[in-house]
Amino acid sequence: MHTRRTLLAAAAVAGLALSPALAQQARTPITMWIGVTGPAQEEIMRYAQEFNASQTQFEAKVEFRGQYPEQRAAAFAAFRAGNPPHIMQMFDAGTGDMFALPRATIPVSEVMQRAGVQFDPAAFIGPARGYYSRPDGTMNSLPFNVSTAVMFINDDIFTKAGLDPSKPPRTWPEVIAAANQIRERNAAECGFTTTWLAWTMLEQYSAIHDLPLSTEANGRGGLNAVLNFNDAPRARMVQTLVDASRNKAFQYGGRSNDANALFVAGTCAMLIQSSGGHAAIARDLKAKFSVAPMPFWPDVIAEPKNSIVGGASLWVFNAPNRSAEELRGVAQFLAFLARPETYVRFAKATGFLPATNAAFQAMQAEGFFQQNAGRDVPILQLTRGTPTANSAGYRFGRWTEIRDMYHEEVERALQGQQTAQAALDNTVRRGNDALRQFERSVGAAN
Amino acid sequence: MERKVVFPQKLLPYLLLAPQIAITLVFFFWPAGQAIWMSTLLQDPFGFSVQFVGLENFQAVLQDPAYLSTMQRTFLFSFGVTALSMIPALLLAVMADRVVRGATAYKTILVVPYAIAPAVAGALWLFLFQPSIGTIAYPLRLIGIDWNPRIDGTDAMIVVLIASAWKQIGYNFLFFLAGLQSIPKSLIEAAAIDGAREIRRFWTIVFPLLSPTTFFLLIVNLTYAFFDTFGVIHAVTQGGPGKSTEVLIYKAWYDGLIAQDLGRSSAQAVILMFIVIGLTVIQFRYIERKVHY
Repeated sequence: MHTRRTLLAAAAVAGLALSPALAQQARTPITMWIGVTGPAQEEIMRYAQEFNASQTQFEAKVEFRGQYPEQRAAAFAAFRAGNPPHIMQMFDAGTGDMFALPRATIPVSEVMQRAGVQFDPAAFIGPARGYYSRPDGTMNSLPFNVSTAVMFINDDIFTKAGLDPSKPPRTWPEVIAAANQIRERNAAECGFTTTWLAWTMLEQYSAIHDLPLSTEANGRGGLNAVLNFNDAPRARMVQTLVDASRNKAFQYGGRSNDANALFVAGTCAMLIQSSGGHAAIARDLKAKFSVAPMPFWPDVIAEPKNSIVGGASLWVFNAPNRSAEELRGVAQFLAFLARPETYVRFAKATGFLPATNAAFQAMQAEGFFQQNAGRDVPILQLTRGTPTANSAGYRFGRWTEIRDMYHEEVERALQGQQTAQAALDNTVRRGNDALRQFERSVGAAN
Repeated sequence: MERKVVFPQKLLPYLLLAPQIAITLVFFFWPAGQAIWMSTLLQDPFGFSVQFVGLENFQAVLQDPAYLSTMQRTFLFSFGVTALSMIPALLLAVMADRVVRGATAYKTILVVPYAIAPAVAGALWLFLFQPSIGTIAYPLRLIGIDWNPRIDGTDAMIVVLIASAWKQIGYNFLFFLAGLQSIPKSLIEAAAIDGAREIRRFWTIVFPLLSPTTFFLLIVNLTYAFFDTFGVIHAVTQGGPGKSTEVLIYKAWYDGLIAQDLGRSSAQAVILMFIVIGLTVIQFRYIERKVHY
């Protein structure tokens, strides 16, 4: 008897739980694949829930499909199978692949226009707009997590080494001197390290020193761009890392985000890292820290140029089975994410930059940058001076792979198997092979 | 006298075989055919343009010095893993063969690593050898060895070798033990009566009689080292530093999935397929004939 009553109650509860599920089935699902982890992932998931609660027509489903490169591969495979996600978060290095194959996606400007949603590309901060727009101003993807590379400094180690953390090193000679002093006084096991080596030491480095990565305006002028970054200033940067690794003024921390662990563990005193890593550092590092701009070589450039945007943007896939209703939902969800208040919340919670001017101004108006020292460093660095052809970003196919070629060759230089110059020569040679192969494969596609 | 079972129906045997044939066709022949077809194509990542290029992908792959050095590394790595997993397994099996009390417990413990997924095994050894906090790396540093698999290619190779071999020891152990237990005790006793000491008995009687098992394991372990070590390498080194731990299967995966160069990746897969076919032919034709049972 007792059991039966329990069963009945359970059935009733199950029925109750089922009814909202049934109601939800009537909603049009909008899937979005993302490749970020940690605070950034939690935030995006939360926005999707809020979007779902704010209306009854659509249901945004955000799925984590592995880190950026794996997620990218999964999306390509899904596209070939005819069923890609509606929206995909593609990281900076994959942007060139997407631009070269416009049939795979629908520009965000067009998605918004078709759905009758107000959308103004001019609302976005210049570097992000330039990076993700076509020459005619059509915005191909929606900038979402915008970042750039900055230098984080462990204040406690600086003080211990007799350095002043309020005057962080500005130039590479100053960084090396500080790192040597840290090693000599044994204030830390290592002076400095960097995450995403190719992104910081090749891409950002070239932009702020106004040096080209290739012909054809860094690939923005056409798929026939030829890489040519194997010159003296770039080789000197690699050589500096090789030399500094002898006394551990520099310690190599791996290809992707792994070096972050060396900084938060207090092993390294300085870290060059995406500004998007700010929140994770604040959470994990048991010391005071400050943020400084990327260092530069004063004999290469007196006034460093702007750095370039990294992070990722949101692309809308084009597939034959997409209904107008689904695209309307995609537009609504993207518009929801692109509201200034969402960008402000995301920037505060993660360290990524506010992607629109309105969001940036809102954060200024409420005094966020006064209360949070160092949070304005990336955006000031990103927007300083007038961008040149070399600092307006790059666009290459297969850049994900070319980055790894740079990693491999520099790793071999760090092992003492080849010179810094040979590392860059090899990267350029192998990279150009990949670019030509990509050019051939894409040539017939459009 | 000939004993033969004859089925009255003609159809039944085919019906009984059908599921197995279907599985073989769907999971083996179809993907293999696809790989061969794709290895002759040049495509963009989304598959909009598909151009037939004949054997160009094979030519490009086989002329690439990076591919050839990866092939050389793969052979060294595979024989290294095979030796490192078979020799300790044989040693342990010989020991376990003599244990009487608690034999089952020992055997169970020794077999456990085989049940661990390659990626997990990789992560485990990655932590043990992690330069700053690893349980093994720390004493190595104390005795003055500058251990850093992140930047030293040899160190990285040692970690993936150990992790890959360790996982396989349990499997080899089981086969060796079964092999040892099937050797007639009378032979060993006869040799003992003739005055052969233990080591001599092992080399002149036990080891030759074990040779079918040993050769079987040799092929199985080589195949394992060629293909199943992907998980370990992906978890521990991603083929780095430089290319010092990149093996053929890892390169094929990387070129296909990350670089999205499906043509050249498929060409590598086809080359790998021929290597396996070669190994299998050796196993069936050559070794099975030469080995004494």
